[in-house]
Amino acid sequence: MNLKHLISRLLSVIPVVFGVVLLTFLLIHVVPGDPVEVMLGESASVADSAALREELGLNQPLMIQFGQYFNKLAHGDLGRSIHTKIPISVLIKERYPATVKLAVVALALGLMIGVPMGIYAALHAGHWQDFVITIISVRFSAMPAFWLGPLLMLLFAVWLGWLPVSGMDSPGAIVLPALTLGFGLSAILTRMTRTSLLEVLNDDYIRTARAKGLSERAVILRHALRAALLPIITIVGLQMGSLLAGTVITETIFSWDGIGRLLVESIEKRDYPVTQACVLIVSLSYVLINLVTDLLYQVADPRMRHA
Amino acid sequence: MKRVSIFFIILSSLILGCSPTSKQADTPIIRMAIAQAPLNLDPRYATDATSERLNRLLYQRLVEFDDRYQAVPGLANWQVLSPQQYRFTLNQSAEFHHGQALTAHDIKATYESLLALRDAPHRAEFAHIQKIEVHDAKTLSFFLSKADRHFVEKLIIGILPQQLIATNHDFSRAPVGSGPMKFVRWQSALTLVRVRDGQQLVFTEVKDPTVRVLKLVRGEVDVLQGDLPPELVNYLQSKPDITVNTNKGTNFSYLGVNMQDPILRERNVRRAIAHAIDRPAIVRQVMVDSTRLAGAILPPEHYAGNAALAPYAYRPLYAKQLLQASGVKLPLKLIYKTSTDAQRVRFATILQAQMAPAGIDLEIRSLDWGTFFEDVKQGQFQLYGLTWVGIKTPEIYLKAFGSDFAPPQGFNRGRYQDAALDALLHEENWPAATTRIHQQLPYIPLWYEGQFAAYRQPVKRYQPQPDGNWDGLATLE
Repeated sequence: MNLKHLISRLLSVIPVVFGVVLLTFLLIHVVPGDPVEVMLGESASVADSAALREELGLNQPLMIQFGQYFNKLAHGDLGRSIHTKIPISVLIKERYPATVKLAVVALALGLMIGVPMGIYAALHAGHWQDFVITIISVRFSAMPAFWLGPLLMLLFAVWLGWLPVSGMDSPGAIVLPALTLGFGLSAILTRMTRTSLLEVLNDDYIRTARAKGLSERAVILRHALRAALLPIITIVGLQMGSLLAGTVITETIFSWDGIGRLLVESIEKRDYPVTQACVLIVSLSYVLINLVTDLLYQVADPRMRHA
Repeated sequence: MKRVSIFFIILSSLILGCSPTSKQADTPIIRMAIAQAPLNLDPRYATDATSERLNRLLYQRLVEFDDRYQAVPGLANWQVLSPQQYRFTLNQSAEFHHGQALTAHDIKATYESLLALRDAPHRAEFAHIQKIEVHDAKTLSFFLSKADRHFVEKLIIGILPQQLIATNHDFSRAPVGSGPMKFVRWQSALTLVRVRDGQQLVFTEVKDPTVRVLKLVRGEVDVLQGDLPPELVNYLQSKPDITVNTNKGTNFSYLGVNMQDPILRERNVRRAIAHAIDRPAIVRQVMVDSTRLAGAILPPEHYAGNAALAPYAYRPLYAKQLLQASGVKLPLKLIYKTSTDAQRVRFATILQAQMAPAGIDLEIRSLDWGTFFEDVKQGQFQLYGLTWVGIKTPEIYLKAFGSDFAPPQGFNRGRYQDAALDALLHEENWPAATTRIHQQLPYIPLWYEGQFAAYRQPVKRYQPQPDGNWDGLATLE
């Protein structure tokens, strides 16, 4: 691993994060609504509202407010929820691990289903197996979570009684939301693996590997798949980023207390500090995933280390 | 292929291995799925319906309401010593859940702490409390800076222990009250225990209505109340092991009208809209049982309600004539704002279809709750649909229709100006005031949605309350 490259990539994260913080702060102040009104309700007197606005520093110029916000942020203080009065860092600590857990399991399921199916389809390109897998993957990618989720609940929870309908109480509770997300993900990965693999299967070095007498398994897994990994890593990175941003619909349907649900609830209730913190965490997740993806490129393809 | 089969065998074993055990169903806990988790269990801050319903179980209040919504003694009896002085005497010996006796000092501390909190939404209602004087452990007096005929009716804040207020105890997440239910824990679900018999109740947030129903059918929860579309209620009614009880409701749904709008300012246009809605058909087809047509914000059985208000009949042709007589060019284009809630959007599409024969072209704008409510408060609408929930005092008429009560002073979101009505409201002549509102139509009344509860064993009997509160859980069998 090129240490210089790693350091330069890490440094490049700083302006991105600053930009995200600034943009989030400004956007929150542009959307309609007043945090003081959210706190005090409709029946608050004008004097009370003005006093609270002053106490919270909301009557100060925007850049001063940003400076104060950034200073608190730098000290790890994300503020408190307007409604629940709970420190936002506590909310994030409660919710984010649940999202990460769901994202990791969904991604694992997607990979476990998608990559083997993609390899199988590529190896049988043009045959009926390829056709069947293509139909399945198109079906999976066309099924929205708000439809697939209840369907899986009906089958596995209500009719078969194998799994809980929703919630986070039992270990099995993660299976259905992860499958709901994993099926869609596997469809994308199937298509991508098939296409990438087909592109390299007829290359000279694959022919050479076969000519050297390597087993078909070694040719596919060690040579062809490794070369086809780059686009798959890109897709996995993008999907992981989007999973870590919270999958609102799946989290809502399955009562999964993740960051996506927290974000949407905070927007609905105009809980501005929570919205701000959630957007920040989600953006940081994306930045981190992009960084990891970038590093994985170099692991997968040694030529990238010298690029 | 062999590997794929092995993978699916492992996955199936995992799934089977994770299946919930029947042991869980044998525990004596009663589980209720709720659409929205409570936001704040500190009664000084709670404004959302779930928190208020739970707080009624966790805390006791100075006053309660009878069947006609007249204030009756709760924790205390009262005497009106003068229009600005009220004396309360505790009528029972109550104890907080941490073992301390509830005294007049706790009542004083609760209300004084509320007044000291700058960010408490209920503070404004009590801003006229000048001082609170404790006479002895059972008696105290409230002194007001100005007379308030509805002061007693406002004293419904749950009483907190003075000692814990002094230590800034976090009541929002760890409430300590003296109500029939005691707080146990609140992690992903909220657990309460009934003081009299130790029965545990667990409240779990399940946002999606279909999922709530599936959880009840599957036996993962035992009770549901409200917040379901009628087709799901009908589905539950068809299940032999589930009981559905309904009751009349008091939450008032209406169409709000912008009275500053040049077209809607015309009374005949508002009458036309009222006659263009087939409310009995909506109630019959897409509402739960026990839903009834509404005439005023407060229901007819309320002491300030009005049972004599005749509903506007569905007469689309007459509505069209009224519009033509008002000189309105047909079709009349109107914008109707609503939230993104599925049931609300459904109502909007029904209204759109019903109004078309009357010559009204209703454009639906479905907005996220925050934007929608902000528009409503700012007066940026022609028509909107909302529901008043849990209203008990007739003061609502003044705040919703009084000429001086446009936001932020009150809830007169349609900016209705009517000196004659103002006079009636100040006189508290409720029959005349409600009649005038019904005639002038700053609101177009729709219905009081019926309440329902669905439950299964081990719950034997549970009757929903008209305002949707969960008081019945305290005596649930």
